[in-house]
Amino acid sequence: MRSRLALLLVALVVGVTAVAGAGARPTTTPPLTIYAAASLTDVFRTLDPAQNFSFAGSNALETQIRNGAPADIFASAAPLNTQRLFRAGLVDKPVTFTANRLALIVPKSNPAGIRTIYDLRSKPVKLVVAAPAVPVGGYTITVLRKMGLSSVLGKVVSRESDVRAVTGKVALGQADAGFVYVTDARAVSDQVNIVRIPAWAQPRVRYEIAVVSRSTNKTAARAWINAILSARGQTALRNAGFLPVAKPTT
Amino acid sequence: MNRRRLLLAAAGVAGIGAASSPWSPSALAATDDDLAYANFGLASSYLLADFYGRALQSGRLGPVARPTLRRGRTAANLQARALTDLLTGAGDTPATTEDFTFAWPTTALATAAATRRTGLTLLHAVRGAYQGAAATLSETSYRVLFASLAASVAEQAGALALLGADVPPFPVALDLEAASAALEAYLG
Repeated sequence: MRSRLALLLVALVVGVTAVAGAGARPTTTPPLTIYAAASLTDVFRTLDPAQNFSFAGSNALETQIRNGAPADIFASAAPLNTQRLFRAGLVDKPVTFTANRLALIVPKSNPAGIRTIYDLRSKPVKLVVAAPAVPVGGYTITVLRKMGLSSVLGKVVSRESDVRAVTGKVALGQADAGFVYVTDARAVSDQVNIVRIPAWAQPRVRYEIAVVSRSTNKTAARAWINAILSARGQTALRNAGFLPVAKPTT
Repeated sequence: MNRRRLLLAAAGVAGIGAASSPWSPSALAATDDDLAYANFGLASSYLLADFYGRALQSGRLGPVARPTLRRGRTAANLQARALTDLLTGAGDTPATTEDFTFAWPTTALATAAATRRTGLTLLHAVRGAYQGAAATLSETSYRVLFASLAASVAEQAGALALLGADVPPFPVALDLEAASAALEAYLG
């Protein structure tokens, strides 16, 4: 199923690019350079392994684009990063293309005995989170504030540069617990237990994607984004655990 | 007017009044606990409004229940508005109904009795949380608001119970963890 979707996505992008470029240059197009939030690593690579990806915290990617990095597309885990670049004229109008939720993960061995998120308050815990400027780090602060648990930030032993680093530390047992996206938690479900965060405390996690203004391959970049917004692209995201947005919108 | 009608009418009127009068947005410094109860209450108010809407749509409780269900829905919406104002006043971004996908077990509204039971279960948890807030929060005006919300929810529970032979559970204060766990199956 995944390989069929990937093939379809590649075919769609190549096809659109070929049509757009017919008569102007050879139909062999260079791969796009796609800067994407670390939480999109697995799903984007599976969808379209032919492109050049750079995965990191959205804040770091935003800085790189601001400094002139040669990206064609920017996919961020928070609207803040894309919207700031849009206001600066560095990306075209962003589109919301998917959503996510947060979860608390603990190692399978669960040395701190954490069963609910409220246990973070009452038990001695080595907690790992992402830095506040990283989207998942900001969302973590929101969750804790919404639940009246901001005090547990005093138990943070490490602030990571992206969600994959948080996931890795907990999966390897270097921390007792960490806040990640549900999609990242699923990817290591053989190594961690997932502690649910109540719906009422969930932050509004929305992903946005945009063509980078300086891209020299805008037609192909737009086609790639359209493929992500298509029914098949959205199905692939849902299969990876991402949440649908009512209708992908600008 | 018999006692039953009198209580049903009072529940609606008092519910609306309680939610609309005691609160106006202010710049009070809200603690984490204040905001936590407000966030939970806001989600719960949306859940209650959704419940009343579904109960109205299903018609399981019969035409006599429609005014009670409508008043309940109005009260839930007014509670949501009061809590939205509280959160906005504290500088937070309140959730909207679009942030939730409520989950309704197939049996939840399958019969009149099941509908009443579901409603009373929700109202019991929400009232318990509001009582907990009224008992524990440090800011007086927040305590007054949550006490008013608890009274409104209690009146809704009384009105819903009167539609059958149900006896609402005795009101007890719940901490947020317990109230949240009680509603987890519905909040999605």
